[in-house]
Amino acid sequence: MLEVSHLDVTYGRTRAVKSVSLTVAAGEVVAVLGANGAGKTSLLRALQGAVRPSGGKIRFDGKDMTNQSSAARVRSGMVLVPEGRQIFVSMSVHENLQMGAYLRSDADIARDIEAIYERFPNLAERRHMSAKTLSGGEQQMLAIGRALVSRPRLIMLDEPSLGLSPLFVERLFDLLAELNSDDIAILLVEQNTSMALDVASRGYVLELGSVLLEDTAEALSSNTALTEAYLGGGQNTDQEGSEHERAPAR
Amino acid sequence: MLLLQQFVNSIMLGSVYVTVAVAFTLTIGILNFLNFTIPTLFMIAGMMGWALSYYGLPLGLSGPLPWPIALMGAVVLTIIASLIVERFTFRYLKTKYGDSTEHAIPLVSSLGFLLVLENLVRIGYGTDSRRFEGPDADLTMNIGGIFVRVPQLVSLAVTVVIVLGLTMMIKHSRIGRGLRAIAENPDAANILGVDTRRIVPVVFILTGLLCGLAGALFAINYGEVSPAMGEDIGTKAIAGMVIGGLGSIWGAVLGGLIVGLIEMMTVHFFGADTVQVMVWGALLLTLLAYPSGLLGHNTIGKGKL
Ligand SMILES: Nc1ncnc2c1ncn2[C@@H]1O[C@H](COP(=O)(O)OP(=O)(O)OP(=O)(O)O)[C@@H](O)[C@H]1O
Ligand SMILES: [Mg+2]
Repeated sequence: MLEVSHLDVTYGRTRAVKSVSLTVAAGEVVAVLGANGAGKTSLLRALQGAVRPSGGKIRFDGKDMTNQSSAARVRSGMVLVPEGRQIFVSMSVHENLQMGAYLRSDADIARDIEAIYERFPNLAERRHMSAKTLSGGEQQMLAIGRALVSRPRLIMLDEPSLGLSPLFVERLFDLLAELNSDDIAILLVEQNTSMALDVASRGYVLELGSVLLEDTAEALSSNTALTEAYLGGGQNTDQEGSEHERAPAR
Repeated sequence: MLLLQQFVNSIMLGSVYVTVAVAFTLTIGILNFLNFTIPTLFMIAGMMGWALSYYGLPLGLSGPLPWPIALMGAVVLTIIASLIVERFTFRYLKTKYGDSTEHAIPLVSSLGFLLVLENLVRIGYGTDSRRFEGPDADLTMNIGGIFVRVPQLVSLAVTVVIVLGLTMMIKHSRIGRGLRAIAENPDAANILGVDTRRIVPVVFILTGLLCGLAGALFAINYGEVSPAMGEDIGTKAIAGMVIGGLGSIWGAVLGGLIVGLIEMMTVHFFGADTVQVMVWGALLLTLLAYPSGLLGHNTIGKGKL
């Protein structure tokens, strides 16, 4: 479904992504792991069209997407849940969800939004309240809900568990498993290695912008040397379980 | 009674300021950009309305046009001019040199556009004021001793409808949500498929529409247009916008009306020379008490609509 070959992303002199190749098959869950600054966000942003890659190719369903706009990618079924959630705090919860349907003009938008409310009752209660009144975990649910309203076939998530309480992290990974059973493919960037590898079937490890390793999830989880050396043990759920936010990288 | 009459007149004058101030505040609220060409667009609307009703279409395609058609044509031309400004200030520079709300370069280039367009009009039509033969300006209604000119009343109604329509559009339509999304977080908007290159022209179309209508209303109400007509209106509309609060549409409405009121009252009590002092004095005092304007939010910059 998604085929990325030799993708490069450069910012001035910084080469953030170096010749990365990866694939995601339809309905598959793939994890991308790596330490801070490994280039995970840059990779996802290039896949969604938020930054122009300086080299390489992105194909989705066999179509070349490398030079397509973000809008074209959303239309063909790719969507990104960005790092730091990036919900619209000047809008209501409901308007945020409507933004997910920005490119849709069919008659089912309202029904799809209701389905999101059924999945996340917390959001339903606050549909007319400003999105900034939500807790960190609820904001993450809103960001995911917003992405789902675009009816994606591939959803890309950038460190969704970051800053969430253990309870919400649990719910998040349950949700990812649910989405996957609805046949949505997932490309998951995480520093929470153990949980990511639980839900994924394959994984890639990025280091300094390059793919260091690619393997099945089981093989990667049993590779303790790797988890310790490159992934800092894999426990990234927040200390003390509070929901404070880390500022997005940059 | 005279004072009440002045009050009615000030609302009419204020409605021109309101329309231009809303144009300013819209671009600031969504694109974080002070569009210096707005007074010029206002002037173009007035001058084109005059030219079309005086000469008719160029190349002898028509004789002088009746005033309502001339003004409609002028509004369309103003929208086109606004899109040209977008193409060569905002879009070109943005796609080449910066993110979608980087505003320093468009600011300067829009100032350049102001001078170029204004001087082109001067070269084409001279610097003199021109009489605009609109509807009979003496058409008045006597409401309990207060004289209200019908064209003024129509202007006021048009302004109210435009502002209400605009706020409804921004609040409830899909395009309106797209505009607010761009205003708050261009990057997140882009990721969801809001295409800046498609939506920024919407702002400029609205700017052209507002300036075009304001110019047309001005021509109807005062029966006179000139290449310099934008300067005074522009500075007062900016004052009104700042008093009301940057990026707030209702702030621009309130501020525009306040400036109109200050102007009329100052003329009434102290004479015309004092107007600028009073308007800008009021602005400074307002900012001392309300640093972000009467209805403004306390964040400077984005996401205020
Ligand atoms: N907009 C930018 N301009 C310049 N350099 C950048 C920019 N964004 C990221 N970088 C650099 O690119 C490299 C990769 O950053 P990136 O954010 O992609 O890493 P990451 O794996 O997502 O890190 P984290 O785990 O902290 O989110 C880093 O060295 C970073 O400093
Ligand atoms: Mg990152």
